[in-house]
Amino acid sequence: MRDLLESIIQRGLKAGASFCEARFFEERSNSISIENGVARALGSGILRGVGIRVIVEGRWGFASTNVPTKRSLERVLADAIGGAKSIAVQGGEEAKIVDPKPTVDTIIHEVKIDPEDVSPEEKVKRMLEIEKAARTYSDRVKDSFVSYRDVLTKVVVCNSFGTSVEEATPRSYAYCSVIAKEAENMQTGFESVGNVAGYEIIETLQPEEFSAKAAERAVKLLDAHPPPRGTYTIVVDQKVGGLFIHEAFGHNSEGDLVFGGQSIVSDKMGQKVASDLMTIMDDPTKLKNGHFVYDHEGTKAEPHIIVENGTLVGFLHSLESAAKLGGEPQGSARAQSQHHMPIIRMSNTYIAPGDMIFEEILEDVDLGVYLSGSQYGYVETQKGQFTCKVEQAWLIEKGELTDHLRDVAVNGLTLDALKNVTAVGKDFKMEMPGMCGKGGQGMYVDAGSPHVRIEGIVVGGRK
Amino acid sequence: MAVEEKIDLATPVERAIRLLSTMGLDVFDVSAAYSRSLSIDILGKGIKEAVSRTDLGIGARVYKNKGMGVAFSQSLEPDDVETTIHRSVSFAKVAQPDPYFKSIPGPASAPEIQGLCDSEVFSLTLEDASELSKRMLDAVEDVRLGAMYWGGLGAIHSRGYLMTSTGVNVDIERTFVSASVAPTYREGEDVGSSYEYDYATSLAEIDFEEIGKRAAEKALEQFGSKRVESGVLPIILTPESTSSLCFGLMAAISGESVVKGRTFASGCLGKQIAPEILGIDDDGTIPGAIASSTYDGEGVPRRLTKVVSEGSIMTFLHNSYSAGIAGVETTGHAQRMGYGGYVGVGPTNIRVKPGESSIDEMTAETKRGILVTNASFFPNMVSGEFSSTVDEGFLIESGEKKHPVKNLMAGGQVLELYKRIQLISKEGRTIGKGHFFPAIKIDQVKLAGK
Repeated sequence: MRDLLESIIQRGLKAGASFCEARFFEERSNSISIENGVARALGSGILRGVGIRVIVEGRWGFASTNVPTKRSLERVLADAIGGAKSIAVQGGEEAKIVDPKPTVDTIIHEVKIDPEDVSPEEKVKRMLEIEKAARTYSDRVKDSFVSYRDVLTKVVVCNSFGTSVEEATPRSYAYCSVIAKEAENMQTGFESVGNVAGYEIIETLQPEEFSAKAAERAVKLLDAHPPPRGTYTIVVDQKVGGLFIHEAFGHNSEGDLVFGGQSIVSDKMGQKVASDLMTIMDDPTKLKNGHFVYDHEGTKAEPHIIVENGTLVGFLHSLESAAKLGGEPQGSARAQSQHHMPIIRMSNTYIAPGDMIFEEILEDVDLGVYLSGSQYGYVETQKGQFTCKVEQAWLIEKGELTDHLRDVAVNGLTLDALKNVTAVGKDFKMEMPGMCGKGGQGMYVDAGSPHVRIEGIVVGGRK
Repeated sequence: MAVEEKIDLATPVERAIRLLSTMGLDVFDVSAAYSRSLSIDILGKGIKEAVSRTDLGIGARVYKNKGMGVAFSQSLEPDDVETTIHRSVSFAKVAQPDPYFKSIPGPASAPEIQGLCDSEVFSLTLEDASELSKRMLDAVEDVRLGAMYWGGLGAIHSRGYLMTSTGVNVDIERTFVSASVAPTYREGEDVGSSYEYDYATSLAEIDFEEIGKRAAEKALEQFGSKRVESGVLPIILTPESTSSLCFGLMAAISGESVVKGRTFASGCLGKQIAPEILGIDDDGTIPGAIASSTYDGEGVPRRLTKVVSEGSIMTFLHNSYSAGIAGVETTGHAQRMGYGGYVGVGPTNIRVKPGESSIDEMTAETKRGILVTNASFFPNMVSGEFSSTVDEGFLIESGEKKHPVKNLMAGGQVLELYKRIQLISKEGRTIGKGHFFPAIKIDQVKLAGK
């Protein structure tokens, strides 16, 4: 495949491209769905194809196909070149990149147990055991679901600077959701695990620490109360802290949104944007769900410090944003598939640990809300307004956790919230494997944090 | 799309069906799809990149002893198709009997829905698309210079082919065009930013200049946003916000989740959930409309479905699986995403019955309230609780729109919102020639602010 991609690149250069990149993408996945003790569906899929990106006449053109043959790729190259030429007469955003250092490498992530070596029957048996722990947790459990997924993603990136990088990344996941019911009241609980790993993370999964926990949460939420509404001091656990930093700040640090005028911090490099207690990192070298060795432009991944002791010190870069904003590419450009151009994505994003223990963080809170477990979030980066939906919460009264709360979401303004962080714990965890959506592309990410206290956050509630 | 290839979908599907017929299965279906798309991406100072994509694939859904196996591949090569088929069958053999599964639908004929393919889209080039995008951006700049942008234009031509062991044999072909732009203006630390969009089956349906003009005007209105106090106030949803409220309800009354008692609307069939002024139809047969098609994802003819009438839920939306559980006929709402194999349930064109009021009347009679121009009211599907940010909105005082709001949330139970509908406007927004959403005024909504 590398030979084919490299021959297409040479053809692109001859046709007038100042930069040409050809990227092969293949993703093989298997899945199992268990519902109330029945393995009702098993599935598998293969995505495969090539995307070609060029700079011609100072503009970007991109084209893709699922048919990775020489004839097809020649047609795709012509489409990409034609595309760039088609917008050359219009004004707009010029295509500009830093000259990448040519790299030739092959990365295969080793796993202890290759999912392909485990039979579907054995996987079903294991997932049924895991599901049973949820279903039998309580007679208030109405429905229990467990799903399994393994994915092997292979990406080959070649470009006209001489880069030729291949990386094969296995990932494994288990997800459990439980619905508990009492009279008309229904509540849900979730758990998920996932990483750049093989079947070993499924084999070692303890049902009582996974699916039974999801069931316990769903059942306990039946007795929880709706949250109060208004502006409160909040304390967030490691998952909500991870969601908060991903949504509230991480997207704002993505170089394409910065040069595109879509970030609230685009003019704040070197300035104080957060409390002194805050150091924010994005680190694709950590072996978590957002891990990779090379990004999809062939740049070797390095840890990025975004905020250091409250000061904005870095953005996440692609070859393009590094050229436009004057930084060094450190490997942040990834694409969902052959049909997508690489765009700047977070990897494993986190708030670095501080020095407080949980009880110290709580003790100064007279009235507040403790948020635990993340569901989803989103941000309007250009305005700096974010929303995070959490799994459960507790009222904090005079430093103690009191009423259990459900269906809680919070909203804040990024720059206010970051400056209003008044405590950062030492109990760091990163355990939020998931997918992040941006520009119509989904991407593997993780996020983490210690316990963190933030003043002046809007809690949306019914009371 | 001038370089479009003539890809034969029927041959690989028929080959797969013949192979599956020899394998002793209960029932099965095979679908293949091909699409060619062009897009212009907008970021920063304007047009950033031109993109073309060719996608194709084939997927199979097979049942053996009521256990389901699904497999798909992005290749129509005979060897790959055969591997995909064998994979689906081996998985179905491992799957356990689904006690709820009955069968898949048989063949049915329906008159072809006209206007779903636009020849202008077939002949659209990236030069044309970039010119149309430029017109959209020029319209923004006619309102005010100096914006930074996010957005794009996309055009897609897709074909699909579905065959089943029960005799369904359906061709699907359609075009889709979308355009959006989000300008952001800055004045010091103040930000004026908003978003406008449209989508349709044909190019002629999209007014690119109007999208740009509206986006700029909406963005400029967002300058000077302020926080407001928490309270219990009426809200007025513009048609764009009404659509979010309606899609949430449609999701809650769709498919196996609702018939298995897993959504907040599971007990609502035949019950009144809103005042009698509320009516919602789902109509997948409107010629030229964005969500119309002759057949659904299982080859069942589309139809007009009265979903909410005089405030009462008249039916849930079904594919064959959920209909089998409910003991009713499928409503023709099976949703199949290309060649993926899995079949879900989703609405088609949602049409909310117009009322007698207007946004101006609703505003004029409001002493203090919030005009919500952009928000997601998608609730927790199980509990029906929602806690949503008012992404864009305005404070109304003494019958007048005062200033944009920020950092404001609305919370509650979504069925409570429906109960508290007071007024529905006669005017509204038609999207893609199919969806119609009016403005809606809802009383006593709990708002969390400063």
